[in-house]
Amino acid sequence: MRLVLFSLLIAGCTTVATPKPTDAVCPTPDPMTLTWDSFGQAFMTEFCNDCHSASLPHSERNGAPLYHDYDSLMGVLNTADHVDQFTGSGPAATNTIMPPPRCPSMAGGPLDRDCPQPTDQQRKDLSVWLACEKLRPHM
Amino acid sequence: MGLFAPPTGIARADHDMATMSETHHGDASEVSVGLSAEAADFNTAFYVGSYQGITPSLEWMRGRFGATAMIGLYHITENGLSTYGAGDAMLGGMATLVDREDVHAGVALHVMLPTGSELDTFGMGHMMAMPALWASWRSAPLTLSASAGYSRALAELGGLNHGLMPLVDPMNMQELTWSAAANLDLGHGLQLGGKTSGGAPIGTGQTHMLGGGRVAWGTPRVTTGLEVQVGLAGDPFTVRGVLDTALRF
Repeated sequence: MRLVLFSLLIAGCTTVATPKPTDAVCPTPDPMTLTWDSFGQAFMTEFCNDCHSASLPHSERNGAPLYHDYDSLMGVLNTADHVDQFTGSGPAATNTIMPPPRCPSMAGGPLDRDCPQPTDQQRKDLSVWLACEKLRPHM
Repeated sequence: MGLFAPPTGIARADHDMATMSETHHGDASEVSVGLSAEAADFNTAFYVGSYQGITPSLEWMRGRFGATAMIGLYHITENGLSTYGAGDAMLGGMATLVDREDVHAGVALHVMLPTGSELDTFGMGHMMAMPALWASWRSAPLTLSASAGYSRALAELGGLNHGLMPLVDPMNMQELTWSAAANLDLGHGLQLGGKTSGGAPIGTGQTHMLGGGRVAWGTPRVTTGLEVQVGLAGDPFTVRGVLDTALRF
C-alpha cells in the first residue's frame, strides 16, 4: 500500500509540459498583417524547417513526425493545431515544447547547437497567424 | 508457462494474472522477479525506427490474491533521433474468483503511472486505469487463457486526443482490450505457445492487434521464454522479439 501511495504521489507531483490549445483568435475583420509571406514562412525557416521539412527523409528528421512539414503554407495548415499546441502562445496557454533544446546546424544534421527560441511576442503572433490563416480561403 | 509473459501492455498484464493463478498453488506467499529484454522495428503513420527495452518486474501472490509491478526502460530511434528513457510504470492487483483444478478465473485491476515521457513517445502522458476479467483452462498438455478488459485514461477525454500512443506499447485513450493464448506442454520443461492481443478504441482511436509465437523452457522455479511477435493491425510494430526469464521464490 505504501508503494502504491508513493507511486501515486510521484506521478501527481511530476510536472511535464503538455500541449495545450492557446485559444488565440483572429481579429475581426482579419487585418491581414500576419500572413505566410510576412510572418509564417520566416518563422518556420528560422525555428522549424531544419527538422520539419518535406525534403528530409525520416532518418534525417531528428525525431520530427512524418507529414509534419512546415516548409509550405499547406504543410503548416495540415497540422496547424499541433503547431499552436506545441509552440504558440495565447489567452489559454503559452507552449514552449517546441523548438526543442537542441537543433542541427544544417537541416538533417546532428543536434550540435542550441535551438534559437522565439520571443514571447513571436509565439503570440504565431498563434494569431494560425487562427487567421485557418479562416482564410486556400486553394 | 512461466509467471511472466512478454511486455505487451495491458493484455500482458491480464495474461500474467491467468498464468500466475495457473502456476500458484496453496496459501503460501510466492514472490517472483523477472526480467525481459525486447527489440522491435516499427513503421507507423508518423514514425519509422526501432526500440530496445528491458523490463524488470516483481510479482507476489498469496492464496487468491496477487499483485504485480513493472517498468520498462527503453532506447528508441524514431525518425533519426536516438533517445533513452523509462516507460510508464504499471501496478496491478488480481483476485481469483474461480479456483478449480482445470479452470481459473478472476478479476484484475491495473494502473499505469505516467513515468514515461509523452513527448519522447515513451509514455501516455497521463494515468490509465485498466480493469479486466481473465480466465484459463487446462487439459494437459494444453492450456488456454484469455482476458477481456477496459482501459481508460484518467484525464479529460475531450481534450487533446493523442491517438495510439506511445510507440513502445501503444494504446488508445479509451479502449476495450483482449488477449487469447494457447500453450502446449511438450514435456521436459519445454512449452510451445501462440497468442494474440489487442485493443479496439471507444470513440476516437485506432484498433491495434498483435500475434506471436513463443517457446519457453525451464523448471517450476526458473522459466525462460523467447517470443516473436508481429503487428497485425494499428502499427504497434512490424516485428518484435522478446526474451524473458523469471525466478520464483
